[in-house]
Amino acid sequence: MKLDRRTFIKGAGAGTAGCMLATLPGSIAALGKTSISGSEQSIASICEMCSTRCPISARVVDGKNVSILGNKQAKSFGGAVCARGGAGHSQLYDKQRIVKPLKRVGERGEGNWQEIEWDEAYATIAENLNRIKAQHGAQSVAFSSKSGSLSGHLFHLAKAFGSPNTFTHASTCPAGYVVAAKAMFGGKIKRDLGNSKYIINFGHNLYEGINMSETRGMMNAQMEKGAKLVVFEPRFSIVADKADEWYAIKPGTDVAVALAICHVLINDDLYDREFVARYVEGFAEFAKEVKAYTPEWAESVSDVPAEDIRRISHEYAAAAPHAVVDFGHRASFTTEEFEMRRALYAANVLIGNIERKGGLYFGKKASKYNKFAGEKVAPTLAKPGVDNMPKIDAKRIDMVDEQFSLLWSSGGVYQSILDATLSAQPYQLHAWVMSRTNPMQTMTDRARIVETMKKLDFVVACDIYISEGAAYADIFLPESTYLERDEEIVDKSGKSPAYYVRQQVVDVIGDTKPSWQIWKELADSLALGEYFPWQNMDTLRLFQVDKDTRLLADIKQRGWLSYGKPLMLRETSMVKDFVAQYPNAIEPDADETYASRLSFKTPSGKIELSSKKVEGFAPGRGVIKYREVALKKADELFFIQGKVAVHTNAATQNVPMLANLMSDNAVWIDPVTAGLFNISSGDKIRIYNATGSEEGHALVTPGIRPDTVFAYMGCGSKNKELARATGKGVHCGNLLPHVTSPVTGMNLHTTGVKIAKL
Amino acid sequence: MTKRYVLVHDENKCIGCQACNVACRSENNVPESVTRLQVRIEGPYGNFPNLHFKYNRVSCEQCENAPCVKVCPTGAAYVNDDGIVSINENKCVGCLYCVAACPYKVRFINPETRVPDKCDFCKSTRLARGEDPACVTVCPTQALVFGDANDVNSEVRQVLDTKANYQQKVNLGTEPRVYRIPSRKGGIKA
Repeated sequence: MKLDRRTFIKGAGAGTAGCMLATLPGSIAALGKTSISGSEQSIASICEMCSTRCPISARVVDGKNVSILGNKQAKSFGGAVCARGGAGHSQLYDKQRIVKPLKRVGERGEGNWQEIEWDEAYATIAENLNRIKAQHGAQSVAFSSKSGSLSGHLFHLAKAFGSPNTFTHASTCPAGYVVAAKAMFGGKIKRDLGNSKYIINFGHNLYEGINMSETRGMMNAQMEKGAKLVVFEPRFSIVADKADEWYAIKPGTDVAVALAICHVLINDDLYDREFVARYVEGFAEFAKEVKAYTPEWAESVSDVPAEDIRRISHEYAAAAPHAVVDFGHRASFTTEEFEMRRALYAANVLIGNIERKGGLYFGKKASKYNKFAGEKVAPTLAKPGVDNMPKIDAKRIDMVDEQFSLLWSSGGVYQSILDATLSAQPYQLHAWVMSRTNPMQTMTDRARIVETMKKLDFVVACDIYISEGAAYADIFLPESTYLERDEEIVDKSGKSPAYYVRQQVVDVIGDTKPSWQIWKELADSLALGEYFPWQNMDTLRLFQVDKDTRLLADIKQRGWLSYGKPLMLRETSMVKDFVAQYPNAIEPDADETYASRLSFKTPSGKIELSSKKVEGFAPGRGVIKYREVALKKADELFFIQGKVAVHTNAATQNVPMLANLMSDNAVWIDPVTAGLFNISSGDKIRIYNATGSEEGHALVTPGIRPDTVFAYMGCGSKNKELARATGKGVHCGNLLPHVTSPVTGMNLHTTGVKIAKL
Repeated sequence: MTKRYVLVHDENKCIGCQACNVACRSENNVPESVTRLQVRIEGPYGNFPNLHFKYNRVSCEQCENAPCVKVCPTGAAYVNDDGIVSINENKCVGCLYCVAACPYKVRFINPETRVPDKCDFCKSTRLARGEDPACVTVCPTQALVFGDANDVNSEVRQVLDTKANYQQKVNLGTEPRVYRIPSRKGGIKA
């Protein structure tokens, strides 16, 4: 090497290069591969660094890198990608990613693995699952997957196998708002933040938990259209910072403030009487119940000043109907999740913002949109059905209680796997097949999950890393990342129909397979191949478009197809534009809207502000009501968690570029509280309760209530396979107790902790 | 100078999400241990509950009057025709004067090429193809506006003409071409 001035100083900043790790079997490092190949032309596809699944445009650059940008065809996403999306290539060729099937060779969870061929993996799984099925019945095998993407293929396998026990991550994340919407509106509803003039937000941190189109919409509403944003959140998050008003609400008391807003709207006669009379069932019972929920009462519960609740309610009503109370996302701030989400929806219903700009609306999929237009504006997609699927007589393990009935078809009570395994309630589980899910982090009470994993006869994990959950598998199946696989066309309709599709950009690295192929091939080994009659993804896509090859080519070329004009049924200007565009459109009402066409899939066909159906399966909960709950002991601090913009829950902590940005989660503590324990920023601390104990470090900041501590979730992994994440930070799931909230079936994410300086 | 490329960072729209940081790293193959661009979320400042964060973009300021260029003994650091402070790797002897002279501390030695490195508005890749710099393209909240301020019809000119803005360390006479729109909360009232 030529020795010059530049060589002399080369040591500067090269500290990480010398860090050698023992090579993990099955990893890219073990494979020794460094170059990548694939399309040098941009291909439209779908990101999967989080479950927003933004449309992207990606290409391989010089055989060593992948450029990932947003797909500009999707207007509301604006061609943007977040840090996680931009770092997708870093995950793709991370040396610690697993690209070869593995079998456990030591104790379960010990971390001793051996590379095997796919044939051996399938044969081992088939032998074990068929034996368990013969001995204990198919229902004793649980199947779980992160919802969306290819999860349907795993659940199809479960059905073919004969098990009713399929679970998504719902009860650890979005089930609260989904279940509440089902109860009130008969199905999911969307929010039109971009057109809203007044947004009330209960800790839905869209500026850190980025959902690209909603994040952009809200920022645009705030900055370009002058929308006002009011945030109630115990922590000074980024969304709290960007708010016009921030209230450090007491953890778990959101329901009180939401009910007080409803109280003011009704008591001060600010609600939309006409809307309520026309579309709402059970208003009288609700009005009677909220009479007691005055702002003064809410202040005593939540620490939010009564006069502010009153003023905000009046401002909100003045902006109606182009105003919205955001119903949130991942939560279970309280076991009263069901009441909280319904109270948030109720505050929307009262101002009549349903199907109005800036309010709430239902997705307009092709079949519905075409009916209104009187012509085929957008194609509809066919769903492949398989005849003669085996009849399953066994009940789901979460059918022990009727109150969870709204969740049975929406992901189920995920954590009931623990009860069924450990205490045979309602019957004994013997095996767990999981795909792209990391319950060890996302479910609560980690110790109990370890116990569950150890007790099961057989565990299979399909993932791209040996996550903390996958670390306890007997067989690990390496999945191709989203950049290496094709998938079905996905419906992404908003105010008008839209479709998009995931396409392979990069040639498969190592010996991985897309999970649709894994489950199909496993079905063959299980002698269930007849239930997977399709050949490959092309067959499935062609079926979806009913052999319309031009349509398929178009979707593949542009990656995103949207149709028609945005339509909200009660918005005059939109209905006018719609009717002008489509001459055969349904005749609007006298008021130039489609208001008379607005219906709800509830028993009454109306919005059920109070519900006899709910009262039936959850006595006492028909009418939205406040119940006091103890989320912590008197001598404990509240412990809450949240999202950060550079990580996705517990999934991305080992991705090199993202680990480089943040690999640890400091515990936020108020200065006065920290002073009591003589804790300064950076100090090592212990955070503990009856569920578990974690070591971490403190961030002393005024951005948190004095009675509360906070940490970003997903850090503190305990398995050695995630070398960049293991042992770094606080493992939140190890501190959260195993509690299931009524009706929503949600895990609880607020608890009490103590802290101590180490 | 035919062009005057400038960048505007709106601290109201910025959410500190690091999409720009990652896009820059990917586009420019920036090694893991160094960085051309960060947005530092600083604070919170103020007293509870009247708090605010500062979103501080840290990257080359593209000074009109660049200290790094002045101190370079070989002409390796120079200002291009488009106003972008650039580096001629062949002329660099690695004396580190430029790194020391930068008042914004945004020049660093690239551990792979072993010459000074920093933001160049993606001039040889994206800009050469007529595209915006990577950070501007991916920004989820459209907090960045980039363009030729000599063009009276450019968006960047409109923004600078209509919105209160500031530059960092103007007292040094460096005349940075990175402009900042202060946060309406606790920002600098211009």
